[in-house]
Amino acid sequence: MSNMFSPLAIPASGGIGLRSPHIAEMLTRRPSAGWLEVHAENYMGDGAGVQALERLRQTYPLSVHGVGLSLGSAQGLDRDHLERLRKVCERFEPDLVSEHLAWSIADGAYLNDLLPLRYDEEALAIVSRNVETVQNALKRRVLIENLSAYLAFADSSMNEAEFLAALVARTGCGLLLDVNNVQVSAHNLQYDAKAFIDALPAEAVGEIHLASHATNQVGTDTVLIDDHGSRVPPVVWALYQHAIDRLGPRPTLIEWDTDVPVLDVLLGEAMWADMLTASIMFNRKQAARREQTTEARATPIRLSIEGETTTSMPVLAAFAAARAARPSISLALPPLEETYHAAA
Amino acid sequence: MLPLEHLQTAMARSVLAMDPTIAARLLTAGKADPLARLRIYQNNTRGSLTAVLMAVFPVTVRLVDERFFRYAASEFIRRHPPTESRLARYGAGFPRFLKSTDTLSDMPIVAETARLEWAIAEALDAPSSQPRSLAEYDSTELGPSPDILLQPSLRLIISHWSILSIWTAHQHDGPVDRNSAWTRRPERVALWRSGDNVRLALLDRASLAFWHSLKHGLGFERATGRALALDPAFDLVSALMRLFGDGLVTNVRVAANSLSNIWRQS
Repeated sequence: MSNMFSPLAIPASGGIGLRSPHIAEMLTRRPSAGWLEVHAENYMGDGAGVQALERLRQTYPLSVHGVGLSLGSAQGLDRDHLERLRKVCERFEPDLVSEHLAWSIADGAYLNDLLPLRYDEEALAIVSRNVETVQNALKRRVLIENLSAYLAFADSSMNEAEFLAALVARTGCGLLLDVNNVQVSAHNLQYDAKAFIDALPAEAVGEIHLASHATNQVGTDTVLIDDHGSRVPPVVWALYQHAIDRLGPRPTLIEWDTDVPVLDVLLGEAMWADMLTASIMFNRKQAARREQTTEARATPIRLSIEGETTTSMPVLAAFAAARAARPSISLALPPLEETYHAAA
Repeated sequence: MLPLEHLQTAMARSVLAMDPTIAARLLTAGKADPLARLRIYQNNTRGSLTAVLMAVFPVTVRLVDERFFRYAASEFIRRHPPTESRLARYGAGFPRFLKSTDTLSDMPIVAETARLEWAIAEALDAPSSQPRSLAEYDSTELGPSPDILLQPSLRLIISHWSILSIWTAHQHDGPVDRNSAWTRRPERVALWRSGDNVRLALLDRASLAFWHSLKHGLGFERATGRALALDPAFDLVSALMRLFGDGLVTNVRVAANSLSNIWRQS
């Protein structure tokens, strides 16, 4: 089963989360989606979705994103689940593998939600051990994602960003920066979102997630709910801009999990991420040139421009956005319910 | 300070029990009430797992009304939360839970239909092997009682109720004539995955015995014997052609424990 695919590196540009209503269209249309990310747990069985992903993997670079490993569980990892994740990685040979800084399993129950940790030395030792176990099992570095949180533990001795930085130092893992999660947690727990991003070790960030949130009013409490159910909101784009300004281009995923729209909407969002990144990098180059010109008589200073990475304008993504305006695309989709059920 | 494992246990019980047993002083949420924020996790867990069950049991939802289904699902989740994160396996115990629910004691058809829907979910997550044709074995010596291997997704269900009729009647929107569909009539259902769909078929007693015996590796001879015992007119040729025609046969081979095999090895 291994070595079935040619290696396809994930580019530092936009990709989309593959969702079951889009699989048939992805297979027939093969649109330009820079890369794909799937939830590992959806591909641990042997259903039709697994065969479809094997076909898509021949065309698209792939990221496998776990949601059920519960890296923060004090009781340790579910070894059976880790073995299933290892088999998924062996089967699909993804370029990136990621999981969450969270726990979902305790007292013998899986809560199907990502719960926050008490950020202290005890938790750091537990998560570090679990991350090392995963990296040893998969024989690769994994990326760990920051969490969207609605509450925190009063006895934490560090914040989440400090915890992640320490985790990187201890385990050599990478980071998946979920910009929407930063916005949600920063609002809900009242801290500075940009300061959170600035506190992360930039070189460790191997991927970015973009998604949306809902705003709920409960009495006097305005709480942001991480729902992944609409377009990326302006406040998240602004924070993404801050992140790219600091980090340079990174593989950036559009996540959409509820009320999933037609495929072209996701492709359009990925295109916006590419355009924004290209714009930031272009402005930085211009600024660097201007500075070089004005300081021509002084000792030239070579500015680092993130390795001169260019984010090429995704031509096919532009086509995708153009298609989004054509109603015929959505009519050509297979019945959502049937496809969803089949891949559930 | 509580060890992390104890803290997580207390938190998990609070999330599942819909009752904040965790001490509020352990939690913080800026200026907000942390116990109010805890309810978000409670709702997320209950809501997402209910959605999982509704996706697996759509006909059951229609049979009992969505509000009742949500109530039953909520109780099931509280008492029997998933034990692993592979949610494709969550819901196996739900039909039995419905059967034991007092409110549904005079509606056994609900739990029976849920049993059919769970089998469909299992089949959709099962592997699908390349089907073989009868012609492939024209020149193969298979002995008197070969093993016939069937698709691993094949599920066989016997019910005292007309579960397939009910399931079929609920595949389209619109009203369902409950009087004609909800009848106490035994139905033997075979189902298996075909691509990203499931095929379902009704079987008679002899055919069910034949398929069941083959599925459990009893071999061709014993499967035929069982079918003929139930129906002396059982048409073996038609039964075989149907199995191949439906793409259910994945391999035919000399039985591992056949006499001729044993002699050959000695």
